[in-house]
Amino acid sequence: MGLHLILMLVSIITVAPYLWILSTSLKYRTEVFTPTPKWIPWPINIQNYLEIFQMAPFHLYLINTVLVVTGILAVQLVTITLAAYVFARRNFWGKEFFFFLFLIQMMIPIHATFLPNFLTLKTFDLLNTRIAIMLPFFASGYGTFLLRQAFRQIPRVLEDAAVIDGCGGIRFLWHVLIPLAKPTLLAFSIISLVSHWNDYLWPLIVTDTPEVRTLTIGLGMFVQQESGADWTLLMAATAFVTAPVMIFFLVFQKKFVESFMLSGMKG
Amino acid sequence: MKRMFRLPVYSYLFPGLFFMAVFTFFPVFMSAYLSLFRWNISNPSPNFAWFSNYLEVFKAPLFWLVLKNNLIYAFTTIPISMSLALFLAILINQKMGSVRSFYRGSLFYPTMIPMVAAAMLWVWIFNPGLGIFNYYFGFLGFPKIEWLYDMRYALIAIIIMSIWKNFGYYMLIFLAGLQGIPKHYYEAASIEGAGPWNQFRYITFPMLAPATLFVFVVAIISSFQVFDQVFVMTQGGPGDRTNVLVFYIYQHAFRFWDLGMGSTLTTLFVMGLLIAIWLVFRVIGKRVYYEV
Amino acid sequence: MRKIILVFTIFFFIAGMVHSSETWAQMTAKPKLLRLTFYYPVGVAGPLARVIGEMTDKFNKENEGRIEVVPVYSGDYDPTMQKVQTAIMAGNPPDIFMVEISELPTLLTMNAVLPLDDYVKKLGKVYWEDFFAPFRENAVIGGKIYGIPFQRSTPVFYWNKEVFKTAGLDPEKPPQTWDELRDYGQKLTVRDPKTGDVKQWGVTISGGWNDWLFEAFVRQNGSWLISPDGLKANFNSKEAIEALEFWVELKHRLKVGPPHSTWGSTPPDFVGGRTAMLYHSTGILTFLKKSAKFDFGVAFMPKKKTYGAEVGGANLMIAKRISKERQDAAWKYMEWMSTSKNTAEWSAASGYVAVRHSSYDDPVMKDHVSKNPEYLVARDQLKYAYGKMMGKNFQKVREILKRQLDDAAAGKIAPAEAMQIAQKEIQGVIK
Repeated sequence: MGLHLILMLVSIITVAPYLWILSTSLKYRTEVFTPTPKWIPWPINIQNYLEIFQMAPFHLYLINTVLVVTGILAVQLVTITLAAYVFARRNFWGKEFFFFLFLIQMMIPIHATFLPNFLTLKTFDLLNTRIAIMLPFFASGYGTFLLRQAFRQIPRVLEDAAVIDGCGGIRFLWHVLIPLAKPTLLAFSIISLVSHWNDYLWPLIVTDTPEVRTLTIGLGMFVQQESGADWTLLMAATAFVTAPVMIFFLVFQKKFVESFMLSGMKG
Repeated sequence: MKRMFRLPVYSYLFPGLFFMAVFTFFPVFMSAYLSLFRWNISNPSPNFAWFSNYLEVFKAPLFWLVLKNNLIYAFTTIPISMSLALFLAILINQKMGSVRSFYRGSLFYPTMIPMVAAAMLWVWIFNPGLGIFNYYFGFLGFPKIEWLYDMRYALIAIIIMSIWKNFGYYMLIFLAGLQGIPKHYYEAASIEGAGPWNQFRYITFPMLAPATLFVFVVAIISSFQVFDQVFVMTQGGPGDRTNVLVFYIYQHAFRFWDLGMGSTLTTLFVMGLLIAIWLVFRVIGKRVYYEV
Repeated sequence: MRKIILVFTIFFFIAGMVHSSETWAQMTAKPKLLRLTFYYPVGVAGPLARVIGEMTDKFNKENEGRIEVVPVYSGDYDPTMQKVQTAIMAGNPPDIFMVEISELPTLLTMNAVLPLDDYVKKLGKVYWEDFFAPFRENAVIGGKIYGIPFQRSTPVFYWNKEVFKTAGLDPEKPPQTWDELRDYGQKLTVRDPKTGDVKQWGVTISGGWNDWLFEAFVRQNGSWLISPDGLKANFNSKEAIEALEFWVELKHRLKVGPPHSTWGSTPPDFVGGRTAMLYHSTGILTFLKKSAKFDFGVAFMPKKKTYGAEVGGANLMIAKRISKERQDAAWKYMEWMSTSKNTAEWSAASGYVAVRHSSYDDPVMKDHVSKNPEYLVARDQLKYAYGKMMGKNFQKVREILKRQLDDAAAGKIAPAEAMQIAQKEIQGVIK
């Protein structure tokens, strides 16, 4: 009994802030200035959600974000699959060294490389493009590592048999390993999509104009104002920016949770 | 036998290595190189200046304040988040019906939203007059704190919201680890007369060692990556009491346009990060049951 | 095999879409059409981005087929400056931009701003001298004109008439002097009798741009902080130290005002009744009028030796390193935006001060101020206003000053010492 009490309490404390976002977003501007918090907004005002699109092109930001995260994932899947395969299945000179490199890559986040990367992109005139947002993330030591683990689980005999049948290398990879590693690939995909949806520092630095701006940057700009915070609008924008991932999360909760749990397994 | 076309091994590695080389490794060397130059508004072209940037960094009291802020942040968020996560993971791991997914989802969802969204929300929650934090906090008898506007409390506010944001992920990792512990270990221990605390100490904790190590390393790395919430909530203030390393680098590079100093700070950051991780693995990693 | 093709197709499709919008825009641009980008900073509360958009649409229609200006909303002053600088460094500057006025020396060091004297001369004295003198100050360095005032403001003093009544003060008489301010501040600070928590601050001197507000206090005490040429710092004058001592007295000793706050948090605080009096930009007036449920007043900031203020806001500027053709087109836009009529329209819609004397003769403006005389306060205060301090590396200057102001307001450092540090560090940075 005490167990559920504690869990319930902590759950409420954790969930309440998000409900507060929704509550505030549905209020009229003058209604937020009450000394006691009103959790249920009444009268309800959905105008805020319409107004945010007039303030800034959030629909454009949404499209950009979708393009960027899928672009990143698409290339990541290629790079990690190829690399994970040879780390799992082949032996070659320098294997340990290269694997070490992939591991180290996990430890050096974009927060440590953003300045030089910015200068690199500036030199190649790639600033303020969606590609710029994606480039540093195309290689993923983390994904390579995860996938290598998954590949190693698959019995060697399968490959030996396949080689005898004339299906080796890339074909084996494509037809056998990848389908068998689907759960790991799915897990990695979810993690990648969610974390890059939420990126901020890097897109902030490399984008200037709304055409390529992403949702998080658009949201961040909302809070930087000369003339006073309009909390109802801010919360509506926050709700909008978090909605897509939250909706997917609520619908596919089990898969999401499994994916993130997997990330720590033997990792 | 092997007549089919087989790509040379290194070509499999090439795509990943290429991007890593250009966007992860080369930048490390580039910032180390640039850190030896004075390159800012007063020096629009880079001037070689040996280690004068480093001297300037170490002489600036603000740099040490920034480091101190990062350390305070790390030494509070890491233990608190980890213990909270472990505690809740153990609770959730107990026998219960489908309500488990409700608890799990409720505690984990903050990981799904962008840090900037959480930051916006918590600016509103921490508003001294109108925010719900002070309102409910007041019932516990605490005075109304000005939170993000008070030099003494701004960093604490950031710590509180960061814990809220991150503990769910750590909890999941621990949960995964817990589920990997065979139940019969506990059964055997019960039969031997071991109580819950001893079961935790001799079964749970050791078997969770890989998970704990993972969470610890992730927590350390992410504690030095703090940026989004500072940028949105306090811009490093008031009085630089929430200025953290990554924000400090950003300020130098993109506010003051001091690219030389920015590179110097970046290089120090990378060095610190690598040393910290090496230390962790050296000291703790060896004692963990691990297959490589 | 088919699947490989599929994967690559999807990949290239995505890559293609990424580039498509950029190239499509260029392809559909009619030949000979000059498309200019215009980076501007506007607060989001209030439909100011829309106003800029509408005004620009009008200009584009009048110049259809020849010039098209694309306004790019870039956030507040800091992010806009950052984006402008990034674009300049990338060799791809926006053709027209509006940045905070004190950034001019930095932009000059980057050789990024076009002198406008030739254009301005063609329009004669009637044009240039129609702009209020204090607004012109930050547009001129070394005798050359670099910007056209557009989005300009001064700090003003707001007070909540209803809580004045409650405290027994005449709601129509705001404090005129620093002494009165101190006195009223004490009368208007309301604390919870049980906990001692402040329920209502007497006076809030807004943080965020507290460096801007501090300069106003120094002006009120008869002194200055940085010389007009941006080279000499004067932070350790007796008057500046006195101004900071006054702040520390209000914020730390008497505790009638919060020691720290952010620029965006204090207007809602005022509207929510958290503070009785407020120092902030005239630019929030529209927000206050729309949100406050009580009667409030707008006045000059209280004086010490004199009324004093400095200006703020942003000027329109043209990038230097673009073709002459683009420069001419950019000027056409700027000239259009800065007519009496358009500056009047902009001011009426935004709450910023109309930058030209003749704007106030415009019927739209006349109508606006007859209904809302509060909007005239900032203009009238211009009599006592000076240009805003500026210098090279201004972002650094701000950080240094704000740090000392923050520390002093928290009681961590004595005002005299704080100003000495500020003087030493700032002088080192602007030379």
